[in-house]
Amino acid sequence: MKFKVKTWLSIAFVIILTLFIARPWIEKGMNHLPVGEYSVDFVDNSGYRIRLERPADTIISLYSAHTENLFALGLDREIIGVGTSDIYPYQVFSKEIFDYKSDPEKVIAARPDVVIIRPFIERHSPDFVKGLRRTGITVVSLYPDNFNEFDDYIMKLAMLSGKEKVAERLLTEFHEELATLEGQTAHLDDRVGVYFESSDREYKTVTSESMAAYGIRVAGGMNVATDAVPIEEGSSIAIYGTEKIIELADDIDVYVTQRGVMGAGGNTHSISIRPGFDVISAIKHDKVFEINQKIISSPTFRFVKGVKALQRAFYPEIFDAVQVNQVITREHLSEILVMYGHHMIFVPTSSYYRDEDRSHYYGALVDVTVNHPSFDMIETALSKGYFESVLVEEEEYFYPENTVTREEFATILYMINDLSNVEIEISDIDYIENERIVQAVVSAGLMTLDQGRFLPNQGVTRQDVIRGLGL
Amino acid sequence: MKKTILLGLIGLLIMALIAGCAPDANKQAMLVVSFGTSYADTRELTLDATEAAFEEKFASYDVYKAYTAQTIIDILEERDNIDVYNVREALEELKKENYGTVVVQSLHVMNGAEYDDMIAVIDDFRDDFVEIKVGKALLTTHEDYEKTIEALSLNFPERADNEAIVFMGHGTHHEANAVYAALEYAFEAAGHKNVFVGTVEGFPEFDNVLARLEANEIEKVTLMPLMIVAGDHAENDMGGDEDDAWKTMLKKAGYEVEVYMHGMGESQGIRDLFMAHAEEAIGE
Repeated sequence: MKFKVKTWLSIAFVIILTLFIARPWIEKGMNHLPVGEYSVDFVDNSGYRIRLERPADTIISLYSAHTENLFALGLDREIIGVGTSDIYPYQVFSKEIFDYKSDPEKVIAARPDVVIIRPFIERHSPDFVKGLRRTGITVVSLYPDNFNEFDDYIMKLAMLSGKEKVAERLLTEFHEELATLEGQTAHLDDRVGVYFESSDREYKTVTSESMAAYGIRVAGGMNVATDAVPIEEGSSIAIYGTEKIIELADDIDVYVTQRGVMGAGGNTHSISIRPGFDVISAIKHDKVFEINQKIISSPTFRFVKGVKALQRAFYPEIFDAVQVNQVITREHLSEILVMYGHHMIFVPTSSYYRDEDRSHYYGALVDVTVNHPSFDMIETALSKGYFESVLVEEEEYFYPENTVTREEFATILYMINDLSNVEIEISDIDYIENERIVQAVVSAGLMTLDQGRFLPNQGVTRQDVIRGLGL
Repeated sequence: MKKTILLGLIGLLIMALIAGCAPDANKQAMLVVSFGTSYADTRELTLDATEAAFEEKFASYDVYKAYTAQTIIDILEERDNIDVYNVREALEELKKENYGTVVVQSLHVMNGAEYDDMIAVIDDFRDDFVEIKVGKALLTTHEDYEKTIEALSLNFPERADNEAIVFMGHGTHHEANAVYAALEYAFEAAGHKNVFVGTVEGFPEFDNVLARLEANEIEKVTLMPLMIVAGDHAENDMGGDEDDAWKTMLKKAGYEVEVYMHGMGESQGIRDLFMAHAEEAIGE
């Protein structure tokens, strides 16, 4: 009898121990779901099997790229919460913020159908994620390691939210657009050599498999750091070092530095003053460009914008060739000015929105939303101060179709040039808001008078723009 | 007898060991504390040069440096392999090296939040040195204002009645923020017309400066940083080309703008004033 009890106890111990050790696999396989039909059924990037009977109706997204892509899929009401650093699109500011570094209780209380994270969050805050899973909330961990996994990643987001059709359409458009962009430089024999700085800590670049390297290829550039070895298997980051960069000095026609995140690449100024960097061709010829990480290394549809930005940086003679229309609208002049100044498109960082005194906030325009064809040109022109937005009942408008007055154009010319303030005779000076600006612009020969009059409120003409910008 | 000698020797050894560990009042260190900058070009011209001036002047002291901005320290370590102490680490090091006399000189513009934080750390080390003294920040006494004005005005361009100098300071929530308006007043009192002082994050704001320019019928402005280094704020907030940079906002309002991109640390007069503060601390 005594022997039997011992045997039973041993068997029970072995079973309990086995179950305990195998708990993660059992949890992943079962996921606390009843047997039945599932419209969502896939394995996520942390190895969990995700099964939902129907698409989620309430989602909390804790990673900026997920949030951005969910909005791109057409969701809004369903997104009931976003992460602490999510700033795009502008609608995120109406959403509640959740922090994976704090207690999971706030998320649990919001009762989402699904919480979407990325493997980094699982590694960084395992207790937070476990806390959510224990309450039965479906936690989905997604992240595409390279560009080839992008479609699969988007389709998983689409499955979770029931937006497969939209996703398929967006992906088709996305790939078609990239193919078109690639075709635009396919005929070029002489390609620019590009060095891409992903971080100035240990002078890191990107591997050939990274999104950024793919973007460089699509934009018609030739990545000079093809021998870069990833810091660890599967990583898109590679340490390169100053010596190797300087060795390639003559081959680096364009130096692209990725900005916008902690530990990113240096800025134009800090790169230009690095010891030994003055021999690099791109630095000698002022060809250092800053690009926001969100449009070149983040798995979102905005990658197309990043590729277009690179095209303009690589081949300005083709992609920044300014065409001036007969009618100069605010939208058209924005485009002209951004191309004329070879400005990289403006993409804000999260600190941008912390400044409470801005007269305009990126993405806030009611009449120029993210889907507007000239969104980037207009936002960039606004970021340079060339235009002002108009506040109507606490909502911001740009009025892209409105024409530009001669005085408005004079102000822009004054801003982009270093002109001297000179007093000259102008017969309708009383109708001019800022006499100094108009006098300086006219006396520099950038704009002309009509029988002594400046006519400040008349629309600026095509000839005015061509003369003023010296096109 | 042998035992007594042996015990005596052991006693002597212990005393020597204790003496070896105790701070040595004759061993003097000067710790120069600044905010720090990650911009190598301006750092060489300002902070490094000022530290070198301290080394030359205070030859009987070993000069150490520390930064108060941990973010800058981290960037320099990770990016450039440059190790800079924070204040606590520096004092730990001085303690380990048995310095008895320590003079800490702040390279801050005012006795504000950064200065207070520095003092709080120093207070933890009061018992670890025979003597620890602290030199005040740049703008402390009225005489400091006069000397600062004298040093800064050496770099003023020749200017007509409709031309102004606009200094950009950092600004702070700390009560020491009053130094900015006081400095502008002191410039006026010293006979320097049309010198205005504004801040990025405090009072006076840019709009206050703009109102002063308008009221004084100014048409041309030279922007100068009221900062020890010409780093990120000077490059971007003051002389940058984004819509919120002072240069852009001034041009948009019809002012000709010149930018003087040199930190105050480049001025010998400013360095001399910091060194005078260190001397005052020594003499206390």
